[in-house]
Amino acid sequence: MGGNGSRTMSSLTELQDLIQQKYGLDPAALDPNASMRGSGIDSLALVEFLFEVEDRYAISVPDEYSNVDTLADLAAVIDKVRASQTA
Amino acid sequence: MHEVVVTGLGTVSPHGDDADAMFSALMRGESAVRQVFPELPKPAPAATVAFDESRWFTKLQLAGVDRVSQFAVAAADLALADAGGKADVDPERFAVFAGCGMGGAAALEAAYRAGIGGSGRVPPLTIPAFMPNAPAAHVALRNGALGPVLTYSVACASSAAAIAEAAKAVQRGEVDLALAGGSEALIVPGVVLAWQAMQTLAGFQPGEAATSCRPFARDRSGFALGEGAAFLVLESAERARRRGARAYAGLAGWSLGCDGTHLTKPDAPGQQRVLRGALRQAGLQPADVGYCNAHGTATRIGDGVECDALATVWGAALDGLHVSSTKALHGHLLGAAGALEALITVLALHRRQLPPNAHCDPVDPGCPLNLVRQPGTAAPQLQAAISSSFAFGGTNAALLFTRV
Repeated sequence: MGGNGSRTMSSLTELQDLIQQKYGLDPAALDPNASMRGSGIDSLALVEFLFEVEDRYAISVPDEYSNVDTLADLAAVIDKVRASQTA
Repeated sequence: MHEVVVTGLGTVSPHGDDADAMFSALMRGESAVRQVFPELPKPAPAATVAFDESRWFTKLQLAGVDRVSQFAVAAADLALADAGGKADVDPERFAVFAGCGMGGAAALEAAYRAGIGGSGRVPPLTIPAFMPNAPAAHVALRNGALGPVLTYSVACASSAAAIAEAAKAVQRGEVDLALAGGSEALIVPGVVLAWQAMQTLAGFQPGEAATSCRPFARDRSGFALGEGAAFLVLESAERARRRGARAYAGLAGWSLGCDGTHLTKPDAPGQQRVLRGALRQAGLQPADVGYCNAHGTATRIGDGVECDALATVWGAALDGLHVSSTKALHGHLLGAAGALEALITVLALHRRQLPPNAHCDPVDPGCPLNLVRQPGTAAPQLQAAISSSFAFGGTNAALLFTRV
């Protein structure tokens, strides 16, 4: 979308929407800077969620990122991977 | 040695998830079998469950949970609620004994389709979703059972074996409370095709799937697949009395054995051994047992062998034994069949009503059993009832329930 060169792209809102769609969790109820486990997104759910994110954006998230803890961290990882893999 | 009683019943069945209403539907002779997967080359009959998983799971909790585990969690939850909860049970003496033939068939089939024929990307939770012990594990997680949590996978005898093993653990005082039953959810195209290839499913004319499974009938041609789950709550009679729980029935005798003759061909002597074993353990004579919920898969060979076994063990008392195979109405739940049929047997005893052996006209003259021919049959004198399960692999199980 129209970032026009500046690095403002963030997947955070899209991820929040996807979480709401998939799991019915309201974005307001999910603090981007808190551990996702506290909201019930345990390690298994996170693995499943990442798989769907990869499908959605046609990217591949390297294994080293599979243990991110907060949604903000996850969004940052997705931003980075999208920037490098869709370039 | 403790006396074992059944204090809770729960099911997610092709006739719904209210055990009593399910039994009433059987009493009316209502078939839940219909045609599934019209896109397959050959029509297949099956009885499926209309299941609302949102009653038991949030969307988040469904990550990696196959339908077979969803059924198990729901049926176990209903059983435990029916028993009045787990009360003050020591979690380490609270056990789950679950039967399952195939595990998460839908998860496995989806993985094959995606991985081999499709995108090449296999869902990452396929393994925890399809492993056959997942249903028992989910039931344990949900209910805080920290004792033995075990899965029995012996094909069509899976959940009958699970119930027998649970009863033994309660009888010996190894556990105080057991959720015992099983679940199965394998009505997916690949599995249906495999059963068709085995030549075991009933054939039928268009529009007649509902009556396609005809146990003990002259024109029987096999079974209809079914899906679902059933659990019983087992505990000692003392514990039930102490906490003021209602007991539906006693589980007075059980027996497990193996034909040891052939992988798939049933064997009358093997069946006789478990029928006799259950009678012996209960201290009953054949004439004491008024109802048998037969294995009755409506295969040409299977029903005949089962008749021979019943006739040999019951002898002169055979006429006093009312027999029905309720698979005609709910299909063959395979790994969950023993549990659902045990639940039906318990309710037959509790309500003193006998569900019919449906779609059996004319009867095979080679099956001279006292079949329950009419819907709505009452059995006011019924004191004991037996449920049998005979599996591929040769494993046989019999569960004998008594009035309390």
